[in-house]
Amino acid sequence: MKGQYFAGVDIGSTMTKVVIMDEATLASVIGPTGPEHRKLANRVMEEALGRAKLAFDEITYVVATGYGRINVPFADRQITEISCHARGIAHLLPEVRTVIDIGGQDSKGIKLRDGRAVDFVMNDKCAAGTGRFLEVAAESLGVSLEEMGRLSLEAENRVEISSTCTVFAAQEVVAKLSEGAALADIIAGLHEAIATRIYGMVRRLKIEREVALTGGGAKNIGLVKALEARLGFPALLPPEPLLTGAIGAALLGRDIVKEAEEKGEKLKISPRRLTEATLFT
Amino acid sequence: MIYVAGIDIGSAFSKSVIMAENKIIAHRVKPSGGNYKLTAEQVMEEALAEAKLTLKDIACTVATGYGAANVSFAQRTASDISCLARGVHYLYPDARTAIDIGGQFTRVLKLDGRGRAISFLLSEKCAAGSGRFLQVIARVLQIDLEDIGELSLRSKKRVDFSTGCAVFAESEAVSRIGEGAAKEDILAGLHRTLAAKIQAMVSRLGIEPGCAVVGGGAKDIGLVRSIEAGLDGRLLVPDEPQIVAALGAALLAGEKVSKGD
Repeated sequence: MKGQYFAGVDIGSTMTKVVIMDEATLASVIGPTGPEHRKLANRVMEEALGRAKLAFDEITYVVATGYGRINVPFADRQITEISCHARGIAHLLPEVRTVIDIGGQDSKGIKLRDGRAVDFVMNDKCAAGTGRFLEVAAESLGVSLEEMGRLSLEAENRVEISSTCTVFAAQEVVAKLSEGAALADIIAGLHEAIATRIYGMVRRLKIEREVALTGGGAKNIGLVKALEARLGFPALLPPEPLLTGAIGAALLGRDIVKEAEEKGEKLKISPRRLTEATLFT
Repeated sequence: MIYVAGIDIGSAFSKSVIMAENKIIAHRVKPSGGNYKLTAEQVMEEALAEAKLTLKDIACTVATGYGAANVSFAQRTASDISCLARGVHYLYPDARTAIDIGGQFTRVLKLDGRGRAISFLLSEKCAAGSGRFLQVIARVLQIDLEDIGELSLRSKKRVDFSTGCAVFAESEAVSRIGEGAAKEDILAGLHRTLAAKIQAMVSRLGIEPGCAVVGGGAKDIGLVRSIEAGLDGRLLVPDEPQIVAALGAALLAGEKVSKGD
């Protein structure tokens, strides 16, 4: 497959990720998902091509995934994030049997066998147990989401957060602050609450080692530690947890092209254009 | 003349009711704020002033609600469920089901013919079934909570929400505004979402004819109509839906006085 390049575009609820690969990852871009998915998909793709020093028509196949995957006009195929995550992890950490993905607005557990998803659980109905829970709580506490992990490591006396609901938990942390609880202790309590919620969901899959953590939540050291305490063993992290789905999408694109070549089939390719389609040009 | 009082310190609002000879002679509603003890005193004093009475004239005060323990001048406390049941029965002797839409929780209760609760359900774990949901939405739409009801009735186009979660509904409302949806259509959609949660609670408990809706949420006419759409028959809505638990507390105070304990 020399001279072939594959792109994976993962439009998540919070972050948009693009990778360009040949045998290895050549370039990756991570940017926030705004209200205009299409424009954003075009922009991050353009940036990734620039970093890989490639023209768009040199890309053999483009796969889009994530919750905004239908808003990638230049994609050749859309594939669910479950399949892309499974493929990405099978490549990055082949020993993994269970993936816990903590995204901005959902969380999922995926069970893998021979590099394919065989079962999954997902919560996208309730903000508790997703990145959104921490985002709302961080806002109430006046700290940035990025600081949460590090701050929680300084906890000495973890505060119990009794609310499950994100709205009520946000009120509860403000009350705890006014009662004089230390910030680090409250944040540790929040991590414990979200870890309990996620673990409770993923446990339904019968967790098997090794376990990988992916998504934005895997970049939060406090949450990782809280989940590891629940699991009872250390989890594995990909080098960049946010890119797992995009890497899987690019690799699935490669698989599709390979299979088509073997069968002598011709694949349908979308026009390699990065301009937004408009009615009036 | 024997005077009794009921005080209900809720998570969002505090209410007081003063009664004489089984009739309401004064009542007050004010935001609970951060100091429940002070709010309890103020909401009582204001009602006393209206009735031209002092605390000494009150034979018995019963406190209820989330912050009942902060009412230092009350002789008794009572559960919000029994106060609600008593208050609803006083207003609507034939009512057998009551829905209380409060700031934090929604409660659904079944009552007997004597104003006692037989069974009840609480929406305690999730903001999606309570007035809190509307508070969150009012903030993002930049409208007053009081205006939500009337505004939503002007809805012409159906906007549906994919989520029941208050946090996700907030973001969904923001996206819908971005897409150009009208505020009234968004509100009507959110009312349907909230009403569905409340209807689910009602059907779990089993509705009986004669259903009253009380609490701050009952002041939202759009929400009341939305709940009605999924239930048989009209809902009974008091003129002052917020004071029903305080009224029930005052009635319990009256019973204590007449029993002589």
